[in-house]
Amino acid sequence: MKLARLVFVTGKGGTGKSTVSAALALGLARGCDVTLADLDQKLSAARLLGVQLNGGEPVRASSRLQVMALDPRLELEAFLERIVPIKAISRRMLRSRTFGYVSAALPGLEAFLMLERLRLMTGESAGHGGYLVVDAPASGNALEMLSVARGVKGIAPLGTLNRLASEVESFLGDPARFCVLLTVTPEEMAIREAIETAKLLRARLGISSIGAVLNGAVPPLFDAAELAALSAMEEHARLALRRNALAEHTVGAREQLAAGGVRVVELPMLFRPALGKAELRSLGLRLAEGFARHT
Amino acid sequence: MKHPLDLDGRRLMICLGPGGVGKTTLCAALSVYAAAAGNAVDVMTVDPAPRLLDALGLDPARADLQEVPLDRVVPETPARGRANARLRALRLDPKHTFDTLVRRHAPSASARDAILDNRIYQNLSSALSGVGEYMAMEKLLDLVAERTTDLVVIDTPPAAQALDFLDAPRRLLDLLNSRALSLLASPRGLMRGGLRMFDMAARAVLSAFDRVTGLHLLADVQSFVTSFEGMYAGFAERAEIAGQLLRAPETMVVLVTAPESERLEQTREFARALAESGLGVDALVVNRVMPRMPKAAEIESARIPAALKRKLARNLKDFSALKAREERALAKLKTDLPADVRIMVAPDLGREPRSLADLLEIARRLETR
Repeated sequence: MKLARLVFVTGKGGTGKSTVSAALALGLARGCDVTLADLDQKLSAARLLGVQLNGGEPVRASSRLQVMALDPRLELEAFLERIVPIKAISRRMLRSRTFGYVSAALPGLEAFLMLERLRLMTGESAGHGGYLVVDAPASGNALEMLSVARGVKGIAPLGTLNRLASEVESFLGDPARFCVLLTVTPEEMAIREAIETAKLLRARLGISSIGAVLNGAVPPLFDAAELAALSAMEEHARLALRRNALAEHTVGAREQLAAGGVRVVELPMLFRPALGKAELRSLGLRLAEGFARHT
Repeated sequence: MKHPLDLDGRRLMICLGPGGVGKTTLCAALSVYAAAAGNAVDVMTVDPAPRLLDALGLDPARADLQEVPLDRVVPETPARGRANARLRALRLDPKHTFDTLVRRHAPSASARDAILDNRIYQNLSSALSGVGEYMAMEKLLDLVAERTTDLVVIDTPPAAQALDFLDAPRRLLDLLNSRALSLLASPRGLMRGGLRMFDMAARAVLSAFDRVTGLHLLADVQSFVTSFEGMYAGFAERAEIAGQLLRAPETMVVLVTAPESERLEQTREFARALAESGLGVDALVVNRVMPRMPKAAEIESARIPAALKRKLARNLKDFSALKAREERALAKLKTDLPADVRIMVAPDLGREPRSLADLLEIARRLETR
C-alpha cells in the first residue's frame, strides 16, 4: 500500500491514534512538507509534538512540519458566513440556535464541510509534493464522518452542495489522494473493531486504500513448557501470561488483518518508563519506511 | 474496613469520563458488585461492547430492562442481602426514548404524529450531540422512580468535556423553545411581540441558507417548533428534576479515567469543571491499572532452568518500565487534583472481562490510593 497525499488515521479509542499521527507526521517530514490536521478535540497529537494550538491558525513544529486544528463548528460558521449576508448578525447569535437547526435538519453538514476542507488542503499540499496527516476521531465517529457525502447528495439532489458532495466522494475513492490508516493494539476488541471498520470503509464508502498500524507489537517470550514450570511462582507466572497474551494477540492481529487484505506495519511495544520526542521520532521513521516498502 | 464504593445510602451512581477508558465496563463491574452485596440494582449502559453483553448474558437486540442472572456469582443467599437482590441492565436507545417521551407529552394524537413525522425531529437523535445525554437523563428518572430499586447506575456517552452531560438538556430545550421562531411565520404573532434577537438571527440565516441550497429548512424548522409548543413545559420540568437529582446528596459521581499521561490534562479539566458546576466528584477511578510487580529475588531462588530465569528477569524489567510510566502518570494526577477527591484504581485483568465473575473481580479489587 502506498501512502496517499492525505493519510486519515483512525482506530478504536485508546489505540494510539494521536501517537501514530504525530509519529507519522515526523517521519514523513524528514523528506517533504507535512501538515498535521488535528480533528481530535483534545489536540493530543499537537501536544505530543510540543505545539500549543489556539484557534484555527497553523503552527510550525519544525521547518517542514506544521500543525493545525480543524473544528467542524468553525467550518460550518465559515460556510454560513459565505452564503449569508450576516454583517449585522454577531457570531454569538449565529452560534446559538441556528447551528442546532442546521445540523438537525442536515445531519452531517459540519462533517461534510470538514471533508471538503480536507479535499482542498490535500490538493494544495500535493501541489508541492507534501503530505497531509489527519488525526481523526475514533473509528465509529470517523465512519460516520466519512459517510456524510452520500447523505448530503440525498438531501440536496441539485445545486452547489450536490456538486461538492460528488467531488468529495471521488476524493475518498482515489487511492492517490486518500488513504486510511487504522491503529490497532494487540487486544481483542481493538482487533475486532479494526477489521470491522476496514470492511465498512470498503463496502460502504468505496475506500480501497486501507492500511493498519499494529501499535505495541510484542514478540512471544515463553513457550507452554516454560509457563508450566512457573506454577510455583504465581505472580511471575501471571506476568508471563500477560506477556504471552500480548504476543498471541499480536499474531492474531497480524493474521486477521492480512486475511482481510489490510497491509500492516508493526510498531514494537516500547518497554520504557517514558515516551518522549526521541521515541516518537523512531516510531515515525519505522512508519515512513514501513509503508514505503509496500509501494 | 469499608469498601471504597460502600453505598452509604446512595441511590444513584453516575459514571462520567472521556471515551476509551473502559467506563462502560467499570459501570457494569460496580453494578454487579452492588447486586452481589444484596442490593436491587439497575444499570444503564451506553454502547456496550459485544463482549460485555456476553459477560452480562444480555441479548444485544433488546433495548429494554433485562434481568442479569446473578446465580453464577452469588451461589448462596448473600449474608447481608435483602430478599430483592437483583441486577437488571438496559442499553440506552436515544431515539426510542425520545419517541416514548413525545408520545407521553404530546397534547394530542395529531400533535404527536406531526412531531414523529417531522424531518428535523427524525434527524435530531443522530445529528445533535446532546440528545443521547438528554435521553440518558430521562431514562435515569424512570429508573429512579421505581421505589423497589436500591441503586441506579448510569453510564454516560463519552464526552470531550465533563459538562456535556449536564449541559445537554439545556441545549436541547433551548432548541425546542424557540417559540418566537414559529411566531415569525405569522404577522399576528409578530405583533404579539416577545421576539428574541436569537430567533431573528436564526431566521435570517436559515432563509438565506434556503435560497442558496434550494432546501426548505426554514419551513421545516417552523413546523417542528410549532409542533413542540405544547410539550415544552413537560420537557423542561423533567430536565429540572434530573438536574436536581444529579446534585442531590444521595447521588454519587464517579469520574473514570485511564493511567496514561495523555489523559491527565483532560481528567483534571473534568474534575475542575464538575466542581465548578456544583457537582463534586465523589470518586475518581483510574481504570485498568497493572498489578503490583513481583519480586526479582523470587527469580533467583527459584528452581528453574537458567534460560527461563533470564526470560523472567527480562519480562519483569520490561513490565516494570511500563508500570513506572503508569505510576508517574498516577502521581502527577494526584498532585493536580483537589485533595478531597478520592483516587481509586481498578485492576487491568490483562484481558477483556468474559464473565460476571470477571466483572465482580474488577470491583472487588478496587483500591484506594
